[in-house]
Order: sequence, then structure tokens, then C-alpha cells
Amino acid sequence: MKRYGEKVALDIPAWDLQAGEVLGLVGRNGAGKTTFLRIMLDLLRPDRGHVKLDGRAHSSDMSWRARTGSFLDRSFLIEYLTIPEYLEFVGTTFGLSRREIAHNLESFESFLPISRVDRSRLIRDLSTGNAKKVGILAALFVNPEFVVLDEPFANLDPPSQIQLKEQLSSMASNNGTTMIISSHDLAHVTEVCGRITLLEAGKIQQDLETSEQTLSDLQSFFSKHHTASAT
Amino acid sequence: MSSLSFWRTYPLLAKNQYRASLRQMKSQQGWFMRIVIALMMVYSAFILLTLGFFFDRFSAELWPGTNPVDVVNRSLLAAFVSLFFIRFLLQKTPRMKIVPYLHLPIGRWTMISFFQSTSLLSIHNFYPLLFFIPFWMRYIVVEGSLTGHSMWIGAVIMLILTSHFANLLLRSILQRRATLFYLLMTLFIATTFVDETAGIGLQQRASEYLFSHILSGDLLSLGLLFMLTAFVMTASTILLFQSINKSEDSARNTRARVRSFEVPSEWGLHGQLVRIELLLMWRNRRPRHYLFVSLLFSTMYLIFMMGSPMAFSGAAFGAILGLFASGGFALNYGQLMFGWDSTHYPAFLSRNVSFQAIVRAKLTVLQLSCLVLFVASLPLFIWLRPNLVPVHFAFLFYNAGVTTVLIMELASRNRQRVDIGKSGGFFNYEGFSAKHWLWFIPTALPPLLFLIVMDGSPRLGLIILAALGFTSLLLTQGWTRYFARGLMARKHRMLEGFQESAR
Repeated sequence: MKRYGEKVALDIPAWDLQAGEVLGLVGRNGAGKTTFLRIMLDLLRPDRGHVKLDGRAHSSDMSWRARTGSFLDRSFLIEYLTIPEYLEFVGTTFGLSRREIAHNLESFESFLPISRVDRSRLIRDLSTGNAKKVGILAALFVNPEFVVLDEPFANLDPPSQIQLKEQLSSMASNNGTTMIISSHDLAHVTEVCGRITLLEAGKIQQDLETSEQTLSDLQSFFSKHHTASAT
Repeated sequence: MSSLSFWRTYPLLAKNQYRASLRQMKSQQGWFMRIVIALMMVYSAFILLTLGFFFDRFSAELWPGTNPVDVVNRSLLAAFVSLFFIRFLLQKTPRMKIVPYLHLPIGRWTMISFFQSTSLLSIHNFYPLLFFIPFWMRYIVVEGSLTGHSMWIGAVIMLILTSHFANLLLRSILQRRATLFYLLMTLFIATTFVDETAGIGLQQRASEYLFSHILSGDLLSLGLLFMLTAFVMTASTILLFQSINKSEDSARNTRARVRSFEVPSEWGLHGQLVRIELLLMWRNRRPRHYLFVSLLFSTMYLIFMMGSPMAFSGAAFGAILGLFASGGFALNYGQLMFGWDSTHYPAFLSRNVSFQAIVRAKLTVLQLSCLVLFVASLPLFIWLRPNLVPVHFAFLFYNAGVTTVLIMELASRNRQRVDIGKSGGFFNYEGFSAKHWLWFIPTALPPLLFLIVMDGSPRLGLIILAALGFTSLLLTQGWTRYFARGLMARKHRMLEGFQESAR
């Protein structure tokens, strides 16, 4: 549980995620999605409760970091570095050599063409969309076992959204990567994720396996809710 | 869309500025600091008023037999130069206040004239008057004609305005052309130094000539001063206009050429973290200014201090030189060692980077900075004060071993955000709190007091200081673990602090 003053930002009595699952986290603005992800990444301490990864409390055992790729916002980027410098740093934290880094990046060439990128351009001089691509790329190119992304499709151009969906699906099916993807884009999230958790005012409202029906269910849930808030 | 009229714009901006300054006052300092500042202000006001009304007693002590008016006339230019430096340290330009209004239908010149005029409401423009008005009433009005003494007080006000706009002008130059700024400053300090040491006293003579002529009703002298004021005011306004136009060009379109460097792969994560720290220094204006100013102190300023005809000497002087000559950068930059990372702290904490690795890299950079500054200033010590070379050596070890650790202790408890991309230059105190100023006491005072106590056997004192530093250097790994444990325990509070202070 996490409170900000009187307001309960997150209240989840119990929740688990199996290895290899791809979870979509949906909810309105302020529903607690980012708080949830920050707690998952040990960037925020819950007032009560804890997160366990492989049975170990993740705030005391940091080994999960060596297996996790994440991107929540621009604070995950070191903005005064160039793209190659930043990716080299991230790769080094995963124990990759320069050659391995270059090799891993090849498969993301269409998402962010590093070979054609201006190597002298600082991340802080990039557009929001391109900076986001760098963050997502840094989370994915290290082949992590666990991926956490916040709003990965927002600010991306349509071709990049499609490429990202393909990339995430391929990582999930080929490598068995476990993922938590928070998104407002219901179509994308239901397409990529096998399980959807709907947060509402910090509580889990629904937790369901994705089916053909899920997208329309979610759409009708949010449109009902919109009508309710409007009246 | 047509711009808002002048009459509608001014009250609107004034209302916003009033709210902003009210909120800033409420949020910036705690009650204790407010009381301390208020007491200091009352005390300074009292001193200035007393000095203004009874200047004859003061001047009789220092310059017996000299007319107090002559003393003041002779010192006016120098006094305003000193006041200018205080302003430069504390007073900000209105540029950042203008930026949020740029997208609104308000004429640029209307906005600039508003913020340039309201910047005059600074306390720095009023407190000199606490001396000058009583002095004028008591000593000037009784001398010369009505025209003469009206012109004299007018000239003082013009000097205040010149000093005000010169600050804005130089800050704009510093922001856009730092090299030119440092060149100008070095030239000015060197000229003043030569003027003083060679006994020319050009500044004093010019000051006396100008103000005694103004007092005697010479319109040409007043005209000269007026031209200087008008020039500085116009130049600062034009530069402000240019800088806001430049800031509107999206920063994303500016493609500054950046230089990079590689670190050998064998250095692994440590090499990467040291590289990131060095790039932080080089690619962000404020840390870069700390670096330049430290280098400047360890070279140019040392020449002035050690070559000064005032012949500073004694253990305290040696300790101050030793502490800052090799430890200046660690003392300035090091205080915000984690604050610099506040905007991207999650970039480290969400990755497989241990606190030990982070601390080790930061300590390496601080320790190396001591060595670099030591080497840069060693030739000056040998040339100007060979007797202080052992002090310099002892402080290399003390600074690298002890000062860096003390500074890290402070830095690792920092919870204030520093927006490094927007944090301006050297004379910007974002991220600093009263605690940072107070920390100078336990950092700088012990070696100073120790050397004063050991004045009877200075060699032994220096050996003990160096040995302390050396031992602490050997314990670097232990310090690293100690800081890493503390950072681990405080990581959530630090992250929350960095986020909260961004709001």
C-alpha cells in the first residue's frame, strides 16, 4: 500500500506475475499505474507490504536489476550523453562488451537506426518521441528477463508503434520475457499482452486473461465510467 | 493576434510577479533562517546608517586630516566595483522570469521593459542608499551649490544603476560567451592588481576627479557618467532581448558539437561511471563553471594572493591557500555530487549499478581533481612562495583523503534537486541550502585551526595533516562501503526529495 497524505495511491493486498507472462496495466490518469511500476522497480517504498522477485524481497536483494530492463520516463535517460554513450553505459551495466552491444543493437536497427543516428547529438536535444525510443531501446536491447515499460506507445510515430509491438511480441514468444506494460492505448496493449490488470483509484478492478472480447470490454468499461463521471 | 496593450500588460505581469515572490519567500527558508537573515539585515542597515551620519569619525581614524568628502569621492568607483561583485554573486537576471510568457500575446519589448524595470526593485539597489543619503545630507549638502550636491547624489544613483545593469549585462555575456566573460574578468582583475601593486592608483584618481568635478557642478563629468549608465542599460536590454529570442528557438534544434572520449573496456563499469561524471562536468554549464573557476583560483588568483604586496603570511593564510589550491573543485562541485544526478537518478537506481560503484567513481573524480589542481598550482607555489610548497603537498593528501570524504558525507545526504540542464552558471545556488554553507565550518576550519595550534612546530603539523590524508586515502574502500550503506538506506528519501523539489 502507498499513500500520499490522505490519498491512497495504491492498495493491492496480493498480486502475482508468473515468469513469461506479458501483463498490460491499464487505468485512468491517477489510477496508480506509475506508482505501481515505481514500487515494482524499487524506486518508491510502499508504506505497507513488499515486492518479491523469485521469492526474494527486491529492496534488499538487488540481483533482479541485472535481469531487468525498464523505462518509465525521461529520468531514466542521462540526457547529457549521446545515444551511443548512453547505450554503452546501459550495456556495460548488463556486463556486455562493446561487440555484444553493437550486435544486440542490430536487431533494433529499424526501430531506432543507430547506424544512421547523429552520434554527436545529445539525448537532451532529441525530440520527445526519439528520446522515448532511446529509453525503450535501452530497456530492451540487453535481452532482459523482465521488462517494465510505462506508456511505451505514447509519442511514437505509427511505424515505430508497429515495430515496437512486433519486438515485444517476439521477445515474449521467443525468449519468454516477462513484461509489465502500462498503457492508455487499449488496442495495442490487448494485442501485445496476454493478461490485463485494470487499476482504478489504486485498487485492482479487473485482472483477466486477454481474449477477443477484452478490447471491447475495456472500451465499454471506460466509456461507462466516462458517462458516470460526466453525469 | 494583436499584442496586449501596455496598460493591460503591466498590471497583469505585476500581479503575477507579486504572487511569485510571495510564494518564493514562503517556500525558500525556514523560520530560523528568516530570523537570522532579518537580524543580519537590521544590523547591516544600522551600520550603514551610522557610517553615513558619522563618517568623519571613521575617516579621522583611518585617514587623519583628510576631508570625509574627498575620502568618499576617491573610493566611490572602488566601492561600486565591490558592490558589483556582491551583486554578481547573489542577484539573478530576469531572463528566466520572461520565458513562461513568451507564448502569450505580449509584445517582447513591453515584457523586457517591465522585467528590466522591476529588476530595479532589488535590495542591492537600496542598501547603498542607507549610507549615501545620510552622508549626502550631513557632508555634501553643506558643501558647494544646490546644483552641485543634487548632481552628486544623482551621480551616486547613476552608479547604482550602472552596477545593476552591468551585472545583468555580464551575466548575459557569461551565459552566451563564457570565454569572453572570463577574459574580461581576468583583464579587469589583472589591471586592478597592477594599478594597486604598482602604486599608480588610477582608479582612485579617476574616482576623485569625476566626483569632485560633479560636486562642483561640472556637467561634462555628469554627462560622461550618464553615457556609461545609458550604455550599460541599453546593452543589457539588447542582450536580454537576444537571449529570449534564442531561448525560443527550440533547444532541440540546437546541435552543439560534442566531443567524446572512450574509456578502455577493461575498466568496465567503473570506467563508464567515471566517464559519465567527467562528461557531466564538461557538458553542463554550471559544473563546467565550477571547474573553470577552480582552475582559475589555482592559477591566476593564487598569483594575486601569493604575489600580493600585502604579504599575507602565517599558518591560517597557508592553510586557506593549501585547502583551496588543490581542494577548491572538490569543495565546490563535490557538495552537489548527487544533486547533479537528481534529474536522472533513476537511470542508475533502476539498473545493475551498485551504490558502491557509484560512490567509488565519484570519489575517484574528486580525488583526481585534487591531484590535477595540485599539479596546476605547484609551479606557482615554487615560483612565488617556495616556503609554502610543503603546505601544498600536505594539503594534497589532506584534500584527497579527508576533504573529499567530508564533502561526500554532505553530498550523500542531499535531497535537493538540481536541474542540471537548466541550472545556469557558477553563480547559481539551486540545490544549495543553509546546511551547505554551514558545512564549510567542519570542512575548512579543523585543518586551519590545527595549523594555527601547531604554529610552534609547523613541520610536525603538516606531517600529521598529510598522514591523516594518506591514511584516509588508504581507507577509500572502507569509505566507499560506508557511503554506499548510507545511500542505500536513504535511496527512497533521496528520490522522493529530488522529485518533490522538482514540483
